[in-house]
Amino acid sequence: MKTGFSVFAAAFIALGLSWCGLVYAPIQQLGGTKQTVVLQSSDKWPMQRTGDATLGLQVYRANACAACHTVQIRQTGVVHTLSITDLGVHKAVDFKAFMTSLMAVPELMKCSNSIVGSLNQWNGSVPKLLFSGEESAMVSMLGDKLKAVGVKTEARVETTGADIARGWGLRQSVAADYLYDTPVQLGSLRAGPDLANLGVRAPDVNWQLQHLYAPRSVVKSSTMPAFRYLFSVRKVGAQPAPDALALSKAFAPSAGFEVVPTAEARQLAAYLTSLKANVPLYEAPFTPITATK
Amino acid sequence: MSDENSSCCNLTGSEPTATRSSAPMWIIVVTLSLLFFGGLYLDSHSGWFDAKVYAPYNSAEKLEVFQPKSGTAAAMARGKGLYEGVCGICHGSDGAGKAGQAPTLAASEWVTAISFNRLAHIPLAGVNGPMKVAGKDWNMAMAAMGAALPDDDLAAVLTYIRTSWGNNASAVTADDIKKIRAEIGRSPQAYTVEQLKVLPE
Repeated sequence: MKTGFSVFAAAFIALGLSWCGLVYAPIQQLGGTKQTVVLQSSDKWPMQRTGDATLGLQVYRANACAACHTVQIRQTGVVHTLSITDLGVHKAVDFKAFMTSLMAVPELMKCSNSIVGSLNQWNGSVPKLLFSGEESAMVSMLGDKLKAVGVKTEARVETTGADIARGWGLRQSVAADYLYDTPVQLGSLRAGPDLANLGVRAPDVNWQLQHLYAPRSVVKSSTMPAFRYLFSVRKVGAQPAPDALALSKAFAPSAGFEVVPTAEARQLAAYLTSLKANVPLYEAPFTPITATK
Repeated sequence: MSDENSSCCNLTGSEPTATRSSAPMWIIVVTLSLLFFGGLYLDSHSGWFDAKVYAPYNSAEKLEVFQPKSGTAAAMARGKGLYEGVCGICHGSDGAGKAGQAPTLAASEWVTAISFNRLAHIPLAGVNGPMKVAGKDWNMAMAAMGAALPDDDLAAVLTYIRTSWGNNASAVTADDIKKIRAEIGRSPQAYTVEQLKVLPE
C-alpha cells in the first residue's frame, strides 16, 4: 500500500484535532475553575459538601438517579426590569398622564406603547412592573426620572427560561456549581424534575427519606420507583427508633414494624438537600432579594 | 467481477493509481464560505472562550451590563439578609425586638442617632447592664455579635437597621466601621451604657 503513511497522517490529524477540541480546549477553558464568591457578598461558592452529602453523590450515582433526573438549570435570557414600589403622593390615574407626558423624551419613546399600555388596567397596587427589557440605560433613566418626582422604583436583573419559570431554579447552572462533584451527574433525561435547586425547594431531610421510601406517600402523581432497599423494615423494639419514618397508614408496614433509613439513604438525602443553585454569581447574575430605593 | 462490468472497465490486474486533477471550484467556494460564516458566528457567540461567559451572554461586556448595580440597593439587600441571619433571631425580623430577649431597633434612639458611633460599638464590642431603649428599661447582655463580620457586611447591617421599619437615619460605610474597629482594638470588654455615653456622638 503506497498511501499508508498519508492515511495514517490524515487519521492522526483528524483524531488529534477532535482531541484538541473535545479535551484540550475545555481543560484550558474550565480546568482552572476555583471556588468563587457570591455576587455582592463575601460568601464563598460553592461550599464543600458535608461528608454524608459527598458520599450521597456516590449513592446517587450507584442508583442511576441521573437516568431520570438532571442537575442543570437552563436559562434562555436575561432582562432588566423596573418596578414601582411606592407611588408617593401620586395617584394611579394622575400617574398614567404623567407617564404619557414623560414618553415624549426621545430615548423613552420606543418603549412608550408597552409602558403606557400596561398602566391602562392598573389600579395602583404595588409593586407594579413598569419596564422589562435588555437596555439598562432605559431602566436607569426611567428610575431617575421617577425618583425626581418622588416615586420609588426598584431595578432588578431577572433571568428567564422554561426551567426558571417552572421554579426549578433562579439562574442557569455554571461550571463552578459542580466544583466538588466527582463525577458530575449532569443527566440528560427528565423523566423526573431537575434537582439542581432541590435543597431549596425541599430542604427537609425527613421529607426526602419518606419520598425515597414511598414516593407516592408525599407526591401523589409521582412516577419515581420506590427505593425500599435503602431502608430496613424491622420489629419495633422496647422503644420506637427515633429516626423511623412517619408514614401514613397506606404506606406503613404492618403494626409492630417500623421503617428505618440505612446509612446509604441518609447519605443520599444529605446529598439531595445539599443541592442548591440559588445565589447570584458573576457568571450568572440576577437580583436576589427585594431591594428598595 | 461480473460480466456486465468487465466490458466498461479496463482491468489489467495491476493496482489502481491516483492521478492529479484539480478540485472543483464549488468545493472551494463552499469551504471558504463555511469558514467565513463560522468565523462570524464564533465572533458573535463564543464570548472568546471566556470561562465566565455562558449563553445567553455572548461577550464579557454583555455580562458586565447585567451585573446588578452596587450601591445603596445592593447594600440594603445584603444588610437585610445578614440581619435576618444574625440579628433577627433575637431582635425580630421586623426589628420590634422580643420580650426577654432583645430590645426594639425600630424607633430606638440608639439606632437612629444622628451619628452611628455609639451604635457601631454595640455589635463590635457587646453591651452589658441596664439600658433604656425607646422608653423601656432593659438589663441584659449582648455579645459582640458583629465582631466577626467583615467591615462592609457590618456596615450593610447597620445601614439596614438605620433605614428600615420607619427608621430614617444616615447610611454607614465600611470605612467608618474600619475606623471604629481600630479604635476599639482586639478582644474588647463589653461596654456599659455609661461607657457608651462617654463616647463622642
